[in-house]
Amino acid sequence: MLRSDHILATVEMIQKENLDVRAVTMGINLLDCRGGDVRQTCRRIEEKIGTVAAHFVATCNQVSRKYGVPVVNKRISVTPIAFVGAGFDRQGFVELALALDRAAAAVGVDILGGFSAQVEKGMTATDRAYIAAIPEALARTSKICASINIASSHKGINMDALALIGQTVKDLAEITREQNGFGAAKFVVFCNQPGDNPFMAGAIHGLEEADLVLNVGVSGPGVIARALDRLIHLKGRDHLGLDDIAEEIKQTTFRVTRCGELIGRKVSEELGIDFGVVDLSLAPTPTVGDSVGEILQILGVDVVGAPGSTAILAMLNDAVKKGGIFASKAVGGLSGAFIPVMEDAVLAEAVGSGALCLEKLEAMTCVCSVGLDMIPIPGAVDADTISAIIADEMALGMINNKTTAVRLIPVPGKEAGEIVSFGGLFGASPIMPVRNVGKSSRFIAWGGRIPAPIHSFKN
Amino acid sequence: MSKEMIMSVMSKDRPGIVADITGAIYQLQGDLADLNQSVLCDYLTMILVATFADSVTPEDVAAAFSHIQSETRLEVVVKEMASPLGAKAKNVEEAYILTVQGPNKSGLVYRISLFCYQHGINILDLATTLDGDQYTMILQLDCSGVESIDDIRTSLTSCAVEAGLTVVLQHEDIFKATSEITLF
Repeated sequence: MLRSDHILATVEMIQKENLDVRAVTMGINLLDCRGGDVRQTCRRIEEKIGTVAAHFVATCNQVSRKYGVPVVNKRISVTPIAFVGAGFDRQGFVELALALDRAAAAVGVDILGGFSAQVEKGMTATDRAYIAAIPEALARTSKICASINIASSHKGINMDALALIGQTVKDLAEITREQNGFGAAKFVVFCNQPGDNPFMAGAIHGLEEADLVLNVGVSGPGVIARALDRLIHLKGRDHLGLDDIAEEIKQTTFRVTRCGELIGRKVSEELGIDFGVVDLSLAPTPTVGDSVGEILQILGVDVVGAPGSTAILAMLNDAVKKGGIFASKAVGGLSGAFIPVMEDAVLAEAVGSGALCLEKLEAMTCVCSVGLDMIPIPGAVDADTISAIIADEMALGMINNKTTAVRLIPVPGKEAGEIVSFGGLFGASPIMPVRNVGKSSRFIAWGGRIPAPIHSFKN
Repeated sequence: MSKEMIMSVMSKDRPGIVADITGAIYQLQGDLADLNQSVLCDYLTMILVATFADSVTPEDVAAAFSHIQSETRLEVVVKEMASPLGAKAKNVEEAYILTVQGPNKSGLVYRISLFCYQHGINILDLATTLDGDQYTMILQLDCSGVESIDDIRTSLTSCAVEAGLTVVLQHEDIFKATSEITLF
C-alpha cells in the first residue's frame, strides 16, 4: 500500500485545492475533408468530426467520474482552416466556420479551435480571403475560435499581414459591439504558434500531426498557491529562501501534471487514439483562488506590476516546466504561465488600481507564455496602434525563440477604467489604458517583412 | 513433495525478533514465500507464508517458535494452507483509496467497514492514525463489484456527513501517479 503521508497530500490537493484537468483537446486532421466545392467540404467536415468525436465528451466525463478529477473543458482543434479551404473565397470561409460550429455543437464540445492560417512569411489569395472572413465568421458562430501565425523565429514577421490584422481586430470588436467586442476575445495572433496546444483560443491541429491526437492542458495556479501558503505557514517566512519556494512549485507541478497525464492517457486509451502531449501551462480562471497573480503576491509583490513581478514570474515559469517535464512522457503546446488579464481576478484588479500597465505586461511576457492576453483596451484605439502593439509582442517571440501571442479587445464605445465583463471563463476587467495612441502609423505603413533574425540561420 | 503453511505471530516488539522468527523457519528448511509485519503501540504482529517439506507439521513450526525469547508470551497460530500458493494472486483493477478524517469517537471504523460490506466493497488494507483528537483512516478498497462509483460517492458522503466525517474516495491510480516515478 502507498504511504499515508503521500495519500493525504494528494487528497489535500484534490479536495481542498480543487485540482482539475483544465482541457482535454482532440486534434482532428481535416485535410482529407476537402471536396470539390464549399458545400461538399462542409458536409465532409461535419461528417468526420461527428464520427471521430462522437464519444469524446462522454468518454471524458466517464474517465473524470472514475478518477474523481473534473475535466473542465472538452475541446476540438482542427487543421488550420486556410489549408482546408485553399481557393475558397471569403463567403466560403464563413460557410466553413458555420459548418465547424454545427459540428462542435453536435458532438457537445465547449469550443473548437483552428479557424486559422499560417502566414508568417507570405500570404496567398486564400489567406487574404480567410482574413477577410474572420469578423463575420466569429460573429455568426458561438463555439469557434480563430488564430493566425504571422511571425516566427525562422521566417521573421509578416508586416503586410500584421497591418491587416490590426484592422481585423477592430472589425471583430465592432461587429460584436452589442457584446462589448467579445468577438475579439476569440481571436489570437501568434509568433511561433505550436501545433499541439490544447488551450483556446489558439489551439490548432498542426500539419505535422497525425490524423487524430489527444492533448491535455493541466492547470492549477490554485493548487500551487495553496501549496505555497501551506509551506510558508509550516516553515515560517524566515526559514525559507526562494530556492525552497521554487522546489515546492516544482514538486506540486509534478503531482498536478501526473494527474493530467493519467486522465489524458485513459481518455485516449478508451477512444483508441494517440495521446499527444501534456501542456504544462498555468492557466488561471476568474474564480477567486485560481490566479497566477495571486502566486506573485504570495511570493512577495504587494501588487502585480510592482518591480520584482517579472523576476518572480520567470522563476515560477521555470519551476513549473522543471516539475512538469519529468512528470510527463511528452510535453508540448505552450507550457508556461499565462497572464490573461480578464481571466485572472488579481491581474484585473491590478489593472484597475493602475499598478499594472501594458508595458509591464509586455516585459512579463518575455519570461512566460503566452503574451498580451485577454486585455480590454479603449474602443477608440486605432488599428495601426493595435498592429504596432502586436508587432512589439511578435518581436519578443521571434528574437527569444518562444511563442508569444496577442489577444486585445478594443471595447467599442468604452474608455479606460470602465469595467467590461464577458462572464464565465472569459472573466472581467477594467479597460486598460493605452499610451501613445496614433503614433505608430508610419511604422505600420511600411508593410513588407521584418527579416528573420540572425540566429535563425543555423543550417 | 512440499506443503505451504500460513503462520501468524504476535508479541511485544524487540530488536532481533524478526531474525528469530525467520531463523526458526530457516532451521526447519522452510522457504519463505510472503511476509507482512506491522508494529502498533510497541506490539509486533506478523503473518508469513512458507513452504516446508512434507515431513514438517504445523506443530513442529509452533514448537520451533516457542523457543523464541519474548517479554510477553509469543502468540502463534500455524495452519497448513488449503489452496496452493499460485491461487492467491488476484489483480484488483478497480482499487480505490478511501480516506476518512474527523474528530475521534467510538464506532468510526465499524461504521465505515459496515458501509463497505453493505455496498459489496472488499477492504484490502486499512490503516488508522490518531493525532490529537483527529482520527484518520486510510482504506484500500476493491470496488470491482460496484456498478456506479458515483452512487457510492453520493451515499458515502451522506453517511459521512451524518457522522461528522470528511471522506474522499479516489481511484488508486491517482495516488500512484502523484507518488510514484513510473506511471505506465
